[in-house]
Amino acid sequence: MSATIAARMYGADLLKLRKKRSTVIWALVLALLPVIIFYAVNAVEHASSASHEAAGGIEHFHTGLRLLGGLFFGPLVAILIGVEAGTTDSADGVLRDLIVTGRSRLALFASRVPAALTLCWAVVTASYALNLIGTFAFADGLPTPSGPQVLEGWGFVLLATGVLCAVAVGFSTLVDSRPGGIIALIAWQVIASPLIASISSLGSGREFVLAQAIAHFGPAGVRDMHGAEIAMAGGTATVVIALWLVVFLALGAWRARTMDT
Amino acid sequence: MAVQGAAELAIETTGLTKRFGARTALDGIDLQVPRGVAFGFLGPNGAGKTTIIRTLLGLTRASAGSMRLLGHPVPAERSQALRRVGAIVEEPRFHPFLSGRENLRLVAAVRGPEARERIEPALARVGLSERAGQKVKSYSMGMRQRLGVARCLLADPQLLILDEPTNGLDPGGIQEFREMIRAMVEQEGRTVFVSSHLLDEVERTCDAAAIVDRGKIITQGAIADLAAGGEARHELIVAVDDPQLALGTLAGSELVVEARPSDEGLRVILAGGPETAAGVNSALVRAGVGVTRLEPVRHSLEQRFLAITSRLDASVAPEEVKA
Repeated sequence: MSATIAARMYGADLLKLRKKRSTVIWALVLALLPVIIFYAVNAVEHASSASHEAAGGIEHFHTGLRLLGGLFFGPLVAILIGVEAGTTDSADGVLRDLIVTGRSRLALFASRVPAALTLCWAVVTASYALNLIGTFAFADGLPTPSGPQVLEGWGFVLLATGVLCAVAVGFSTLVDSRPGGIIALIAWQVIASPLIASISSLGSGREFVLAQAIAHFGPAGVRDMHGAEIAMAGGTATVVIALWLVVFLALGAWRARTMDT
Repeated sequence: MAVQGAAELAIETTGLTKRFGARTALDGIDLQVPRGVAFGFLGPNGAGKTTIIRTLLGLTRASAGSMRLLGHPVPAERSQALRRVGAIVEEPRFHPFLSGRENLRLVAAVRGPEARERIEPALARVGLSERAGQKVKSYSMGMRQRLGVARCLLADPQLLILDEPTNGLDPGGIQEFREMIRAMVEQEGRTVFVSSHLLDEVERTCDAAAIVDRGKIITQGAIADLAAGGEARHELIVAVDDPQLALGTLAGSELVVEARPSDEGLRVILAGGPETAAGVNSALVRAGVGVTRLEPVRHSLEQRFLAITSRLDASVAPEEVKA
């Protein structure tokens, strides 16, 4: 397959995703609204009471990162978009029409991943920019993040949402169900992951929780966002993330290659 | 139908079998579809029509047997085989939130750069240029069918595979669809493979057909041969002023295999092709018989179908309808 065709397939998958208005609107709401509410509430409280510290500054920047990178809203956006990318052709009955073009099923599956990442990262980057605006606009003399900290935070948000988005593409292709994929991944991310992290008797087994491995790469102020901070080496965290990606993308590719349509 | 070489066949299957658990959906299908014809794949609901289409297109795997599409073995050369194949499997489906044109762009992106250039001509070909910017969710069933054909045309197909293409269409839409299929065969030289449970549909649209039931091909061949019961048989209804004299005259004629009285006149089975009718007329006139009506009889594929499918009483005798 030529690079031109690969680029056009990517463009086609991105077109599908960005034109799915309900998904894009929900992703934007989930990514932007919590940040807006967070800064608005803090700004109002600071304005009404001098004892309440300013709404911006580095601490609030880190709280915004928790919202986006690991705690809830960023992963929700990643899951929503990843599952949409993994299931939209099948759900709309169009997958067989793509297969009968003769193009390999693996190529059809593979083009979903960069398209999902593009939309996901566009949305969370917009949210991250909003977080930065709040951080600096409402700092009112509080310390603000340095340039490297800003880049580190952005990189962390992209890593956290990107990995989960790619896993969501693979997992939802495997289960071939939009509601099933969304429910299972949210349950894992929001309920099971913090729960497992908090059970100290599981010991080093907790290192296999994806959210823990991702949190390892977060800025110092946001690593304890999943119930407990599990100490692990950078190499271990990298291997765990790579394992999650490889396993779920391979399962998704296998399902795409073998499923009856 | 004469056996043709693989290169002359658009579709060829040998012993094609598909099992779903204990159930055999296709049971050793041997199918030969010549190029450049409209070929009907006729059978009752549940006979295996869609299963064979899905198997040919690689949407499901065959349990046994071999297949060739446009001369390419599949699945070994599936990609090359499907490059010039367009297909609508069951009803045409699209992303409802995209416009007709955008839906075609998605498929064109997968097919290759030349397919993109065919989008506007394909939309024009099916009469959808003006509505192509609207979302597909606003399209009628007929428009979706036409958009499905436009999607097929992106491949500039040598072979079109259409699964029950007139389902859900109104009479005007059905007529339009028939004309489109005939034009694709006669003017553009494409092969069109149409599955249908509608006998009339196949008879009006196709040059040849196969009849399938319970996963097996019952018979296949040219429509006229199938309707006549395996070999072409030309019959006439002849109305005359003196039936006895006419019967006596025809009894000694080498142009006639059999002549017998019927409610509508004499029923005459010709020894030759339809052109023999002129000789029969001349013979009767020379014998002093006044001929008031001479009409060819067209055998109904429907009656033939009903007679041979195992779901119906095998003793039902084929009847005929007038052309």
